[in-house]
Amino acid sequence: MINPIFDIENWKEIFATLSRNKTRTFLTAFGIFWGTAMLAMLLGGANGLRALMSKQFDGFATNTAFVWGNQTSMPYKGFKKGMYWSLDTEDLERVGKIPGIKDATGSLSHWGMTITYGRQRSSSGIMGVMPSYTEFMHPIIVEGRFINDTDESSARKVCVLGKRVASTLFGSDSPLGKNIAVGGIYYKVVGVCEARSEMNVNGNLSESVIIPLSTMRKAFNYGDAIGLMMLIADDGYDFKTLEEPIKQAIRRNHPIHPDDNKAIEYMNISEMFEMISNLFLGISLLAGFVGFGTLLAGIIGVGNIMWVIVKERTTEIGIRRALGAKPRDIIVQILSEGVVLTFIAGVAGICFAVGVLGGVNYLMTMQGNPAGFQLSFGMAVGITVVFAVLGTAAGIIPAVKAMRIKPIEAINDK
Amino acid sequence: MPIIDLKDINKTYQGAVPLHVLKDINLEIERGELVSIMGSSGSGKSTLLNILGILDTYDTGEYHLGGVLIKNLSENRAAELRNRMIGFVFQSFNLISYKNAVENVALPLFYQGVSRKKRNRLAMEQLERLGLADRAHHLPGELSGGQKQRVAIARSLITNPSIILADEPTGALDSKTSHDVMQIFRQLNAEGMTIVIVTHDPGVGEQTNRIIRLVDGQIIDRP
Repeated sequence: MINPIFDIENWKEIFATLSRNKTRTFLTAFGIFWGTAMLAMLLGGANGLRALMSKQFDGFATNTAFVWGNQTSMPYKGFKKGMYWSLDTEDLERVGKIPGIKDATGSLSHWGMTITYGRQRSSSGIMGVMPSYTEFMHPIIVEGRFINDTDESSARKVCVLGKRVASTLFGSDSPLGKNIAVGGIYYKVVGVCEARSEMNVNGNLSESVIIPLSTMRKAFNYGDAIGLMMLIADDGYDFKTLEEPIKQAIRRNHPIHPDDNKAIEYMNISEMFEMISNLFLGISLLAGFVGFGTLLAGIIGVGNIMWVIVKERTTEIGIRRALGAKPRDIIVQILSEGVVLTFIAGVAGICFAVGVLGGVNYLMTMQGNPAGFQLSFGMAVGITVVFAVLGTAAGIIPAVKAMRIKPIEAINDK
Repeated sequence: MPIIDLKDINKTYQGAVPLHVLKDINLEIERGELVSIMGSSGSGKSTLLNILGILDTYDTGEYHLGGVLIKNLSENRAAELRNRMIGFVFQSFNLISYKNAVENVALPLFYQGVSRKKRNRLAMEQLERLGLADRAHHLPGELSGGQKQRVAIARSLITNPSIILADEPTGALDSKTSHDVMQIFRQLNAEGMTIVIVTHDPGVGEQTNRIIRLVDGQIIDRP
């Protein structure tokens, strides 16, 4: 027998049988269509969410912890509970010496300051940071430079403007070298920066004025206090095991009761990252599971319809066998019907899903959040292969049943 | 050498009560014969036809078809022999309802791997031979009983078989049409075709050259 793929009669037969019961074929095809569309949309959607999320974390060191001071909750060494205290440069030094801490930097910030340049005003936050701040956040330097070591050591009155502050005050002019005023003190603009990450610490970089930490302390009378300590761990260390040594180092420097759990706020970012990435793994798995289940239900539907078709066509298959069809011919015929049905419905499902994902992506991009709500080509091919295989598998039982039909049974069935 | 040669064929259907349907059947049919097998229902004539058509197996004995021993054949070999050596005509026509007359006639050639163009041409020739050229593109549902049976006969002829086995070919037809169909068989026989017709209708049997009577699984009154 010639290769059935190249025989138009074979194809005509497949379509003739499938179109003989249009409603049933349509419903079955719809099962497959919906299954693949769901699988594709869920996987694509999970991809998109993951991309959105990792965009939030982009430009942000992940093995990070933040520490800041809070009211004490227990009396200690003659101090009442409820005492306000803050971290200082001493703490920064002590914590920086703990093995496993790669970098420790401090910052101070004030919100709601009025920034003026000539007659232009902008209300924004002011942030005092050390040059090593860039180890934690990786700001995009739009113009000029960031705070450097000399700025910090000589407490220079220089500043880096957030991009939005710069455009409010200067429009499209370059602010470099100009002097702006914050609370009566003038700072020379040395750079303009923009947040890379959607995640912010102490306010959005784009909407802040950044000055050296030492300058900030002097200008606002902070003494040697720092508001927030940011830490990066060496590879191989994590902030779960570092938590106790860090807290101890700080307690020894302040009148804090050893059992006071509320006085020192400690935020382990890497743990949060892990939680979020686990969450997304979970979402992906769930999406895959649900989508695959739907697909499976569709495939079983195809198997079911092939079964009914075989029962209905017992006589016809018997005639074919009497006229010289070999068992293989019958198997090929039944299987190709199943595969054709799955393939057409499946490809339609993927196209539909890609369309929907494309629509979502378009809307997201319009809102300024371009994300990858798309199926990769490989994934689409993968899904196609999976359901082609499953479609064949679904046809196997009916096909074997068809093969077993003896011509005599069919023909005697008058 | 006879085209059909049966020696001591026995067939028993196993069941709660085993049924011995064919008892020591010996039968020879020569090339070019027009034979009818007659018997009442339950006489075993359908079983005999199924064995002749390699649609069923027998328990003991030997059946040679055109010199080939038909015993313990694989499904594939049986299908091939049916396809090339035997043309079937059935009481209920057994045409495929969603294929038109040409496609039905051409179907046996499909399983020989003949190209679509060639098999449709050959099918057209057979339909012309049976006077159905104008019905070639009609579906079976659009044909009368006599026309359907003529399509079925055309299908049985297309592989140029050694014998034609007809199972009650006139059973579903009125007497006028029955007569026409028998005329066709006689005509084909006159052109040299070997034809075996199973029937319980004496009128059909009379139009054949030899009648084999089966009673309770045994051939009686062998001329």
